Amino acid sequence: MSRVLYTAANPPARSAWEAINPMRMIGELSETRYWMYLLLLPSALLITAVVLYPTLYGIQLSFREMRLNRPALGTDWVLFKHYARMLADPIFWTALRNTAVWVTSSIALEFTVGLIAALALNRNLPGTKVLAVLILVPYFLPNVVAGHMWALMLDPRLGVINDLLVKTGLLTGYKAWFADPSTAMAAAIIVEAWHSFPFFTLLIMAGLKGIPTDLYKAADIDGAGPFAQLRLITLPMLKTIIAAAVILRVIGLVNSPDLLLILTNGGPGRATQVLSLYAFQTAYKDFNFGYAGALSVVMFILLMGFAWAYIRLSKVNQD
Amino acid sequence: MTQTRSGSKLVWDTVSYAVLILLAIVCVGPIVWTFLTSIKVEEDIVTRSMVYFPTRFTFENYVKLWSQSSYPTLVTNSLIVTSMTVLICLFTGTVASYSFSRFNFAGRTQLMLAYLIVRMFPAVLMIIPLFIVMRQVGLLDSTFGLAVAYTSFLLPLFVWMLKGFFDSAPKELESAARIDGSTRIGAMFRIVIPIARNGLVATCVFVAIAAWNEYLFALMLTTSQGSRTWPVGLQLMVGEFQLPWGMLAAGGMISILPVIILFAIVQRVMVAGITAGAVKG
Amino acid sequence: MTTNFSRRSVLKLGGGLLAASALLPQHAFAQAKAINYWHTFTSQSEQAGLDAVLALFKAAHPDIAVTPENIPNPEFMAKVTAAVVSGSRPSVTMVASERFKDLLAMGALIDMTDRVAKWERRKDFDDKRFESISADGKVYGVPSFAFVDWMYYRKDWFDEAGIAVPTTLAEMRDAAVKLTNPSKGRYGYGLRGGPGGQNIIINIMEAFGSPVLHADGKIGLDREKAIQAIDFYAGLLTKDHAVPPSAANDGYRQIVEGFQTGQTAMIYHHTGSYQDIASKLKPGVEFGTMAIPAGPATRVARLAYAYNTITKQEDADTAWQWIKFWGEPDAAVAFLEKTGYFPASTVAAQDKRIVGNPMYKAAADTLGFGIPQPSFPGAAGWAESSVLPNFQRVLIGQATPEQAVDEMITALAEATN
Repeated sequence: MSRVLYTAANPPARSAWEAINPMRMIGELSETRYWMYLLLLPSALLITAVVLYPTLYGIQLSFREMRLNRPALGTDWVLFKHYARMLADPIFWTALRNTAVWVTSSIALEFTVGLIAALALNRNLPGTKVLAVLILVPYFLPNVVAGHMWALMLDPRLGVINDLLVKTGLLTGYKAWFADPSTAMAAAIIVEAWHSFPFFTLLIMAGLKGIPTDLYKAADIDGAGPFAQLRLITLPMLKTIIAAAVILRVIGLVNSPDLLLILTNGGPGRATQVLSLYAFQTAYKDFNFGYAGALSVVMFILLMGFAWAYIRLSKVNQD
Repeated sequence: MTQTRSGSKLVWDTVSYAVLILLAIVCVGPIVWTFLTSIKVEEDIVTRSMVYFPTRFTFENYVKLWSQSSYPTLVTNSLIVTSMTVLICLFTGTVASYSFSRFNFAGRTQLMLAYLIVRMFPAVLMIIPLFIVMRQVGLLDSTFGLAVAYTSFLLPLFVWMLKGFFDSAPKELESAARIDGSTRIGAMFRIVIPIARNGLVATCVFVAIAAWNEYLFALMLTTSQGSRTWPVGLQLMVGEFQLPWGMLAAGGMISILPVIILFAIVQRVMVAGITAGAVKG
Repeated sequence: MTTNFSRRSVLKLGGGLLAASALLPQHAFAQAKAINYWHTFTSQSEQAGLDAVLALFKAAHPDIAVTPENIPNPEFMAKVTAAVVSGSRPSVTMVASERFKDLLAMGALIDMTDRVAKWERRKDFDDKRFESISADGKVYGVPSFAFVDWMYYRKDWFDEAGIAVPTTLAEMRDAAVKLTNPSKGRYGYGLRGGPGGQNIIINIMEAFGSPVLHADGKIGLDREKAIQAIDFYAGLLTKDHAVPPSAANDGYRQIVEGFQTGQTAMIYHHTGSYQDIASKLKPGVEFGTMAIPAGPATRVARLAYAYNTITKQEDADTAWQWIKFWGEPDAAVAFLEKTGYFPASTVAAQDKRIVGNPMYKAAADTLGFGIPQPSFPGAAGWAESSVLPNFQRVLIGQATPEQAVDEMITALAEATN
């Protein structure tokens, strides 16, 4: 950065160099009407270049016949054939229901734990800086590692969690958590929440630092208790950050099958079959890209609907 | 009045400590267990009677990992991809986020949603067309290509999060600078960005972690040892007819290490940023 | 394929990226004598085996550089699919027999009939070895090594209880029930109801008289016999309680660990896991190997081969040098020494290290009556996304064998219509 401050009120004397000084040109550009759009240009160009074509490609696939291992069927347009099939596909409905459970439970758990941890850490008590690092560690683990680690700990033969529960008398024998439909989803959600709640903690913590302390002092004087302060000051002040975090996490949870792929692969039966996993299997195990495309488009629409409704309801974009 | 307040402070302090310690145990427990697993001999892992504290130790898993999986290359690749991703995000995303936060222009809400929508199409189906695009422009199987792909997916995250931090930075200082005659860009770099420094660092940390840990794109868009990243290398150790618990655990431990070091450095910066911000404000 | 769709506009936008890419190292497959080899070897022993073959090849062909690139097995098809669709194929690809028909259908493989016919070592191989890599009289690959289905059993437990080694599925079930002792934490059979278990379920259905691929090429299940098979096999858990309750999520790792740690008396796998089992239990004392027991209708034990295939036309000649090298007895035996995987060549399989080892007798016997896996486009997908989950639903009591088989039949029709 140039240390010289050019200002509109006090323009520097122009030399030949000054006329082409890039810093000065940008400074002038920043005063034009189009500045806000210029700021968006680099990121918008990059995103368009990389994402636009794959997305359009995926959408058009959903209206085509495309089964890689059945070339004889051709790749003709089939309009809404895949969507019609979806309506009659019981696995789709199971996966949709499971996705709803998987996403809402994980988000609820991650947000609650994340918020509590952030509030506790924000009190800046002595010694909590170390605890902060420890609490954030799970988020640093790749999904691959977290998944295999928990698979070992919950293992029906070698699992330390089973052993601890038996030793403390909470269980009578080792339990196969991922082989029982009534516990498989819950166990997967706990692993997911363990792995991702620090996302909320870190974000909320950073947001909390931005809230002026005067607000709390004023509330103290008015006699507002800690819960009232949370409801009236903290949460409203963090509105945008929380909204962004929730939406981004929901997108991640709906779209990424990594963890379930390692832990359950959708089983037992179809107890943990979610839409992302179903689309993945349809594309890369059945090679039916048309149907996988239709599943993806439905996920895409559901996410857009959710984001739109959530932003409306939480009034994030109104100042 | 004062007494009840300090009384309630004591209660809340105790609650805070209890919550934090409990959470720390829950968070670190599995990692400690992974560490113990990584130094156990195979017979103490695959066993019918749980071995909590091994009496026999081995570092063979780490040695094998180092020699077999070409760890240094993989980690170097991961570091390159991660830093490139963060840098591109920083250069293109910060200004975009500032624009969304500070200007009220036609189409702002729609554009912000458009940034988000980019992340919404399932990656599963984007892989093949992305593969085709990358191949056309010659970026397939290169760390730069991977970083570009990551950036396009992480930019929305970066922009949305950072907007939250810019929003909570007071607008008065900026207005004051503008009245003093600073250009918009001057006000942005000299006033707003320093105030939102914490948020900027936090956001970069997220992007870095996401890039460091990503698996699916890394797997699909790279093939050769020269550009492959660490999570893919790790997954490759899980063989079809082999149970490398010890090595997998060692791999997990090693993969946290660079991130923790980075975070330790960043935390210092974050703390410094907070103090600096306080002085200025 | 409709890859032209808006590609042009994307390319314009991506022009800047193109300029930047010039700074990066390009893939150096420019010289004609360099090939890359996609494989799914992962374990240390497999890696050592590949290294040994590579070293021998380098000595024999110093002018050819082979770059091995390993692909994680679960994502293998996704990766190959992307490579084929986008035209960035590897020179040589290792193909498991159950993936052959899907890869052939998507145009990934190149006809090798003439090369194989003229090959001086063709006579070393039984004609049957090429069955799983041939279609319409054309050959698309050369077998590199074999997996022979068999079972491992706890010899010490069988001896202690005075039970003979089972030769039929009914005897296997009786033995499993007798050896189950929940108070000791012992179960008779380690059932693979999780990932990878689908192939065994299909084998059991065929053993009960319901093959999925019939001799005349027709595809379909015999509903009644398939139901009997599912009822028998899932019944080992639901009725006989001779299987660990974790069966529905037990994959390869879990069944092997269960066997290694003395939880189960028998498991169903193939020769590829021998080293792993022998590293924990004493061969011939604690455990033995047996041929897959016969079902009421027929005996179904699979012989699965790993094949090397040419997947890129441009360097096919160089690729062929590497592929046929795997048929050299020296290479096959070097690979066997490191991995324990059976050679595909009949000449190499007569090596005394195999013939002289009593533990390999079951496998050698199975070579006589073993049959290849049913292979048709969509077979692997149907097995994984319908057979396995529906079987799991029976295991966990969410469906009857009738319901499960009906769903399998519906899904099979959909996969092959």
